[in-house]
Amino acid sequence: MAHSHTHDGHTHDARTIDHGHDQADMAAHDHKPSFFVRWLFSTNHKDIGTLYLIFAILAGIVGGAMSGLMRLELAEPGIQWLTAFVPTGTEAEAEHFYNVLITYHGLIMIFFMVMPALIGGFGNWFVPIMIGAPDMAFPRMNNISFWLYGASGILITLSIFAPAYQNFTGFAGGWVMYPPLSSNTGHPGPAMDLLILSLHLAGASSILGAINFITTIFNMRAPGMTLHKMPLFAWSVLVTAFLLVLSLPVLAGAITMLLTDRNFNTAFFDPAAGGDPILYQHLFWFFGHPEVYILILPAFGIISHIVSTFSKKPIFGYLGMAYAMVAIGFVGFIVWAHHMYTVGLSVDMKAYFVAATMVIAVPTGIKIFSWIATMWGGSIEFRTPMLWAVGFIFLFTVGGVTGVVLANAGIDHYLHDTYYVVAHFHYVLSLGAVFGIFAAWYYWFPKMTGKMYREWLGKLHFWVMFAGVNLIFFPQHFLGLQGMPRRYVDYPLAFAEWNYWSSVGYAITIAGMGVFLVAMIDAFFVYRKKAPANPWGEGATTLEWTLPSPPPFHQFNELPRFDKGAAHAFH
Amino acid sequence: MKRLIGGMAALAALGTGAFAQNSWNGPTDGDIGMVPAGSKLAEEVHFFHDGVLLPIITIISVLVLALLLYVVFRYNVKSNPVPKKFSHNTAIEVVWTGVPILILLVIAFFSFDLLYKEDVIPDGKQIVARGDGATTAFTFANDFPPSRTAAAPKHVQVFKGTAAGAEGLVHGRDYTLVGLGTGTVAVNLKSAPATGETIVIRAGRSLVGGAEKEIALAPTMTLKATGYQWGWNYNYPDFGDFEFASNMLPKEKTTPELYRFEVDNRIIVPVGETIRVVTTARDVIHAFALPNFAIKIDAVPGRINETWFKADREGVYYGQCSEICGVRHSAMPIAVEVVSRPKFEAWVDSQRALAGLEPMFIDGAAKFADASAAAAQ
Repeated sequence: MAHSHTHDGHTHDARTIDHGHDQADMAAHDHKPSFFVRWLFSTNHKDIGTLYLIFAILAGIVGGAMSGLMRLELAEPGIQWLTAFVPTGTEAEAEHFYNVLITYHGLIMIFFMVMPALIGGFGNWFVPIMIGAPDMAFPRMNNISFWLYGASGILITLSIFAPAYQNFTGFAGGWVMYPPLSSNTGHPGPAMDLLILSLHLAGASSILGAINFITTIFNMRAPGMTLHKMPLFAWSVLVTAFLLVLSLPVLAGAITMLLTDRNFNTAFFDPAAGGDPILYQHLFWFFGHPEVYILILPAFGIISHIVSTFSKKPIFGYLGMAYAMVAIGFVGFIVWAHHMYTVGLSVDMKAYFVAATMVIAVPTGIKIFSWIATMWGGSIEFRTPMLWAVGFIFLFTVGGVTGVVLANAGIDHYLHDTYYVVAHFHYVLSLGAVFGIFAAWYYWFPKMTGKMYREWLGKLHFWVMFAGVNLIFFPQHFLGLQGMPRRYVDYPLAFAEWNYWSSVGYAITIAGMGVFLVAMIDAFFVYRKKAPANPWGEGATTLEWTLPSPPPFHQFNELPRFDKGAAHAFH
Repeated sequence: MKRLIGGMAALAALGTGAFAQNSWNGPTDGDIGMVPAGSKLAEEVHFFHDGVLLPIITIISVLVLALLLYVVFRYNVKSNPVPKKFSHNTAIEVVWTGVPILILLVIAFFSFDLLYKEDVIPDGKQIVARGDGATTAFTFANDFPPSRTAAAPKHVQVFKGTAAGAEGLVHGRDYTLVGLGTGTVAVNLKSAPATGETIVIRAGRSLVGGAEKEIALAPTMTLKATGYQWGWNYNYPDFGDFEFASNMLPKEKTTPELYRFEVDNRIIVPVGETIRVVTTARDVIHAFALPNFAIKIDAVPGRINETWFKADREGVYYGQCSEICGVRHSAMPIAVEVVSRPKFEAWVDSQRALAGLEPMFIDGAAKFADASAAAAQ
């Protein structure tokens, strides 16, 4: 572990400074609480991170199963499968159920899978370690953040089974929840109220978590670790936390207004009483657009570490990478109405949002090219995490350039609410954020569990899933260009072929997830190979690789120092 | 009004005959591109996507892929056992910041032009005059709002209508313009049109189309579409107090190919005329979409939204509700039948008759019956 290398004329190996014996001490003093106290009342950032990851995996299974039902129904024209999944077996209820599936698939994947995995899971696990902190700034608030998520998960699950419209259950108006479809006009039953309360709790949880991350990163960095020496994953979580703190209250306001519209006779969004449904859309997307960067920014940070580690090179343009994320976060707040080009905005307003939206391509391009430049001249080892990272870079590029297409209102009038949009945001999220999650999982799995996985299983998982998700989503561009609207349970014959291939892609993706399951069972119960502190070699320079795998229950009883002539790895 | 429409019908005729009238305009299974353009504006949208955006994004994606493949093969651990340690190169960073900005400026150049064409309802005007064998100067009132006056030669188009059809005249060669930007503009023809020949002058800034731009005229009619769960209601406020509901045809009443596209009562509009579409909704938000004309506009309760299209050829065009609106969201298609002016007038009178109104276009109904009989054979 005590290795060092130099670049830019500096020795930058802070880890070798005096905590060799320190960790032996830590292991000796590793007082783990009893099971219930440890997992239910947890204040330990690593345990809470683990809980978030388990939560995200469960939600991912539910959300993924929902997309399976959707692709099953859409594999052929007609409504033939979903009637078997609804109590009355009628076509109308099957249609409602399809809309329930698209709604909860979106909400679960965004709020209960990607966010808990990247921010709650990997953020909690590795931000404190990377900045040399013993834990988060507010450990007990960290605990309530997680359990609010648990309560939120219960409420959203109840909402699926609560009456919504006529005798059908579950809110079925899409994850954006536009009124009047989400008000008493469209969904008078309690399902929508439960959903609103669920999102209130999820939002409160995320705001508390974000406050915790901001405070931790600003106050608890190891001596000498200035912001400009801080690892990029910590930077990405810092920017994400600011986006959460600034955007979630706006969502909370919007859904609270919706709640009072539904229950207390207010009329914020009811045109019959002087309200405006479009106001909701502005509020929602003022949250919703930063939200998509909330989903992807942590993945940006993770990809930077993985690319650097396996190329055995420092990140190219570290400061540019950090401030590109800040720029994306800032501009992300002033582009929201590009989701609303067809609601009847004035043409000048659309022109502004076209211009502002296209600006985001610049910092995003900086990130893509900087990752490639990091690999350039490196000595790249294609271990499993690196495959996912390279896959991420290419697929995110594809999703990014279709975003540039959609940014243009002149073309969005054609493509808005078609499958082109579905393809675009799944390329950046399903193939972007999710590939980021798997990259992080394979990168940090040895660190978190202390076990190695079989390399070939991880690689097989990557290749099968890479083929599968591309087959799902690439043909959806064609469907969108052909004009197929999204959120359709059934479609004309002319959309049959690409829908069929898209469903075949889903089957391949599920096979890939099967490989993942096998790889994990194998790692825990069959392979059982102990992970070294640093399985990735000289390229892995951040602090987590200085700790044993898994790290001790409490790390850094004595803080690592970056100030005694030690320069950070990223410079 | 009548004269204006008559002149336009003559002019529209030149754009009509060249196309097969009942060709399929919708999506085709397995196709990967946009559905056929049904208007000059949609042709521009196609050009913007197929000619500008698609090549740019393809080149960028292929470039990134090529760079990735290059580093994968050139800088893997076998080919390059010792990693270099550089982490900065100001020149290259300036390049990959600056070049994307230039690319975006190119996109923006086309994008804003197209956006304003789509969103500004055309206000072009048309003057129809008859030649008497001697007159060479024809004037029109340049009475647009200050920012919309005909101020350049491209803002005026002149056609000569003969028995054979309309012929576009060329500025400079066939005519000159006097008074551009002022209150009255004179078109001075080089040679006087013969007696009975029609001279059609179009003026305004609503230029649409790629290679052959045309001045789009102000709307001749308004179509009001009201969305409801789950169908559309259509009004023609310019043609009297009648309205009709349009609902999707069930499976057994249409062909497998048309199922989820075809409706019981289609929208009927005249070919070659600018149609103003206004939308609203009764219950929840819906969206009125016609991909062939590249339009999509939400129908929002309590609001009136506006867009426009001008069909260049007769035929049937389909769209589908494009904002989730509840259980039967996928069961409220939009079908537009674009017909000739006489057929349209006959149809209007038939609708007026259903509503107990006097005919508006005296002999229209007879023409419609004839046309229907001809179509049936």
